[in-house]
Amino acid sequence: MNNQNNVYEINRRNFIGTFSSMMAMMGGVAITRAHENKPAEAQERFTGPPLNCAIIGCGQQGREIVTNLSRIQQANIAAISDTYSAYLNRTGRQAPKAAKVTEYKKLLDDKNIDAIIVATPTHQHKDIVLQALQAGKHVYCEAPLAHTIEDARTIAKAARDAKKSYFQAGLQQRSDPEIVHILNFVRAGAAGTAFLARSQYHKKNSWRRSSPDANFEKTLNWRLDNQTSIGLVGELGIHNIDAASWFLNMRPQAVTGFGSTILWNDGRNVPDTSQTVIDYARGARMLYDATLANSFDSEYDIYYGTDATVMLRDRRGWMFKEVDSPLLGWEVYARKETFFKEVGIVLAANATKLAAQGENAIIDTQVATQGSLYYALEAFVVNADLIKSGVTEFTTNFGADDQSALGDYLMDISKNHLPAAGWKEGYEATVTAIKAHEAVMKGGKVELTDELYNLA
Amino acid sequence: MNALRALSPKTLVAAVLVLGAVSLQAQVRYQAVPGSKVKIAGTSTIHDWTVEGKVIGGFAEFESEAALDPSKTVSDVKAKVEVNVPVSQILSGKKLMDDIMHDALKIKNHKNITYALKEIKPQARKAGEPLKYDTKGDLTVAGVTKPIDMVVTLVPEGDKLRATGTQQLKMSDFGIKPPAPAVGLGLIKTADEVTVTFEWLTKKAAPKTASLN
Repeated sequence: MNNQNNVYEINRRNFIGTFSSMMAMMGGVAITRAHENKPAEAQERFTGPPLNCAIIGCGQQGREIVTNLSRIQQANIAAISDTYSAYLNRTGRQAPKAAKVTEYKKLLDDKNIDAIIVATPTHQHKDIVLQALQAGKHVYCEAPLAHTIEDARTIAKAARDAKKSYFQAGLQQRSDPEIVHILNFVRAGAAGTAFLARSQYHKKNSWRRSSPDANFEKTLNWRLDNQTSIGLVGELGIHNIDAASWFLNMRPQAVTGFGSTILWNDGRNVPDTSQTVIDYARGARMLYDATLANSFDSEYDIYYGTDATVMLRDRRGWMFKEVDSPLLGWEVYARKETFFKEVGIVLAANATKLAAQGENAIIDTQVATQGSLYYALEAFVVNADLIKSGVTEFTTNFGADDQSALGDYLMDISKNHLPAAGWKEGYEATVTAIKAHEAVMKGGKVELTDELYNLA
Repeated sequence: MNALRALSPKTLVAAVLVLGAVSLQAQVRYQAVPGSKVKIAGTSTIHDWTVEGKVIGGFAEFESEAALDPSKTVSDVKAKVEVNVPVSQILSGKKLMDDIMHDALKIKNHKNITYALKEIKPQARKAGEPLKYDTKGDLTVAGVTKPIDMVVTLVPEGDKLRATGTQQLKMSDFGIKPPAPAVGLGLIKTADEVTVTFEWLTKKAAPKTASLN
């Protein structure tokens, strides 16, 4: 009884005994977003002529992009490009109407192409992005933006200065309504003061790609070479670290890393296992654990606050409340799911509203049918199209003389954009990712200074 | 441009002189410039709403500058005014609402809302008071043209001219069915009446022919 924990334990038992129906509140609440009942007519709604998109880089991510983009009514996959014919042909089967181009520069000269989606290996992003912006295209660049700070800086500056081009960084979770909804829970303080984020990526696979063409294998396996890759933490962890910084609403201050090659001693010089600790202000930290040597519990993100813990897994969210946390009210009606000894409250955006409507309200726990990448690409197409029509209508009505007024106008209408990561978010996340990989490679701490993040 | 370059300077001068002679005397033209705003405000069963557009194109031509001088009173004004508002640039900040609104405005076939002035009459006022005009014109929304009477205030600002006004309109007058989007529980209904408020900024166009008169 002298122990604080015992006090909670006793209270917990009493509490459960007295209010058994409220028991589940002690545990976790699943978090899902309220779903808009989009009417069938919305699907047929006129959205203007489609945005002609070209995808450069037809590897795994490029194919994912083609799959998702083909479901977006407003997008037209006009062309795909890759220097590797096997990839190009395979992706071509998913987009039979798209022109297949080996030399991407041809796409930049094509006036009919509005937007370029860059999904090449990271170290090849810079030249393509710069040339695409130069050609006046809208650009979606996969994250990380680059494998060096210098390249990332060059890309971000070019994107910032290309006022007539819409630029989006491939931090897809920033556009995902499910994740934005859970972000609001954490940011609003429903979990108390958030002080720790922990993410893991556990997969048992080599990360190696094979090709019948032995000469091409090295090119294909750019992720395993330290010259071209920023490793697990840089290529994959960038999304989790960005989400943590976003949820905590802080910029990282330092990163400490550890790396080892446990299982895949196949000549690679990028570790197959790494742990990273990221320091934020007021003692908050993020732990990122990645391995290709074990698959237990796959991947998830957990945000720990003083009142509750929020778990994000397969784009669903649950809240696990501390026994002494304030009562929110709506969780009484929320759906719960059990994880071993903990009960998770399904986080549903409509839970509070439905609770107000009475017990008969059905809480929608259906998970969105589309993935994060779909929402990110949808945002890209919609936002790029808005900028495109803004440029057209502005110059039609006011002429093309006043480019500075046009820039101001485009900045003004960008407040109508669907949420997405721009050059700033992309740059900052890339800087953290590059430095995290640097820390992993040296097995020590790297300071993250303001100068690093500020674009001159 | 090539055709112009092919002409000798003499022919060019002669051509400009001829054009100048034909043009109206001392006519002044104001061309739309950035800095305008049109707001459409309405209500619905769930909330009041506002959409806004900042691209208002077109021009205003006045027979004489006197009509725009607050220190003078004129009884008769001749002017030609054409206004153009691209529907795609009218935005609410919410994609779903924009889609519903653009659809209601039949953007597929009617990309612009246009206005053409037919009559303009200065309101009685003392010299120095704001320039107010009773106007009659044709407003075309979603392809349907309706005559509208409107009071317009003109505010000269150096070489710029700001025209402001407010007008109540009914969507149904233009063949628009007030949107009742099937979102939520299907209880959203939009009221027919909307209030349009505008501020249209134009700038005196460089005199092309007037200097030769």
